[in-house]
Amino acid sequence: MRFKLPLLVFMCFLFSCAPTRFVKPLEKKQHAANLSLGGPLFKYGTATIPIPFLTAMYGYGIDSTLTGFATINVTSALYGNLQLELGATKQLLKQHKYFPALSVTPVANIIYRNKDAHKFYPQIDINAFWEYGKRKNFFYIGLDNWFELAQKKAYDIKQPNHWMFSPLIGHDFTGKKWNFKIEAKIIAPNLSNEKLTVEYQTPFKNHGALGIYLGYTYKFN
Amino acid sequence: MKTFFEFSNTSVIRKIKTGILCLALTLVFSGCLRLDDNLYNKTKLTEYKLDNYTGEVDFTLDNSYHIPDSLVHIFTLVSQASDESSATTISAIYIGDIDSVATDTVIMYCHGNKDHMDFYWQRAKLLANTKGKNRFGVLMIDYRGFGMSEGKPTESGLYADVDAGLKWLKSKGLTNDRLVIYGFSMGTAPATKLSAEPRSMKPCKLMLEAPFASAEVMVQDASGLALPGTMVTDLKINNAEEIKSVQQPFFWIHGVEDDFLNITTHGEVVYANYKGTYKEAHRIPNAGHSTVPNTMGFQTYSNAVGDFITQH
Repeated sequence: MRFKLPLLVFMCFLFSCAPTRFVKPLEKKQHAANLSLGGPLFKYGTATIPIPFLTAMYGYGIDSTLTGFATINVTSALYGNLQLELGATKQLLKQHKYFPALSVTPVANIIYRNKDAHKFYPQIDINAFWEYGKRKNFFYIGLDNWFELAQKKAYDIKQPNHWMFSPLIGHDFTGKKWNFKIEAKIIAPNLSNEKLTVEYQTPFKNHGALGIYLGYTYKFN
Repeated sequence: MKTFFEFSNTSVIRKIKTGILCLALTLVFSGCLRLDDNLYNKTKLTEYKLDNYTGEVDFTLDNSYHIPDSLVHIFTLVSQASDESSATTISAIYIGDIDSVATDTVIMYCHGNKDHMDFYWQRAKLLANTKGKNRFGVLMIDYRGFGMSEGKPTESGLYADVDAGLKWLKSKGLTNDRLVIYGFSMGTAPATKLSAEPRSMKPCKLMLEAPFASAEVMVQDASGLALPGTMVTDLKINNAEEIKSVQQPFFWIHGVEDDFLNITTHGEVVYANYKGTYKEAHRIPNAGHSTVPNTMGFQTYSNAVGDFITQH
């Protein structure tokens, strides 16, 4: 048994897969709209391609170190689910020469289909970033952490994984009114990807999945 | 001069509003995408070639399993699900002497989700030759949309199509006590359903190779999360629940290394939920999803299948 079209993989990491929203907070009272596209790589015939997850986000600079945001997962919506991310990015440390700035982003992931099918996943991202040059482009590394709170899966099978962490690396090209981001993420390298229905592609052979993302943000006041 | 990324504020805000409106409309009017159709990995055919089929197969049997042309019957059946207004013509193959269906033991073979009866021909031959040359009759159908069968696959269509095969067997004089139903992979759904809730005939034995527990388990296995399956699929297929209503003797066989339907999360759950009169399990080391018969060795596999049919 095999699935002819790998659309099945849309279900896989559909809900847990998105790029980092804000690494560096917006300026105070600044607005931002973002579209991000990308997802884990999987084997499709003889090629390896990313799953095209699309998300749309709005962010607002509450102050110069704190940005609130809300995101909707468009791909999930196409499957009839209202999937929202509500979160805030707080910059904790400023950059000092080669010591990076540090930010933390707690996020509430809410997925609702109907009264019998809804989920809540807490998430916390920690990112370090280095600004450079006149335009203040920045390079960043970080760690996404997703938490599965359920103790049981279907048929009372124990849910084995409660922490899905994803190391990431990215670069943000910064314009006056826009940002363009490219990011690579190793999704759940602690979890085996064998016997999972889908052939994920990963540098860790039989663990996790490699995700590639692009994001465009327009900033306005 | 504006760069590619820079526009006037009013223009962009208008675009953002339009985008938000589109998004809202998407949410309201979409939700129509489901993964259901991906269950059916069908391929159309213009003719059945059986032994002359040159496409991919899981394994090929040697000449000792040859079925004489006189015992191979290709025909069509009419199938209609209860929620359908018109019937669909599907294709079927019977291996055996049609004139002796009334006195033979017959295996109704429900194939998997891939391709068509040419792909499963080797498996059907293996079953027909279990416990001796052409010992059992075997009926196999192509679900609607598969092979030369007309129509489009649906969940209710799967059950209706297999039941159309059972109706044909009944019309040839077969009785329930000599009907064994065998399902492989996706075919375990109609096999289990029609054992738990018999329609035209009530199989006296149920055999499942690499069964799946439910669509929800597939979603959860693939995501690693305890997600409700209904978030991406409307499939109601649920062998893990259906098996609870099966009383007939039950045979389960599954590759330990099955990388598609995990033996622990799928097969073991189905096996554990069976509460009928007799059950036996065959966990096959080193076997994957499609390699149980050849990993076991055809003779060993045939003996296991044949012993269950004849002894329990």
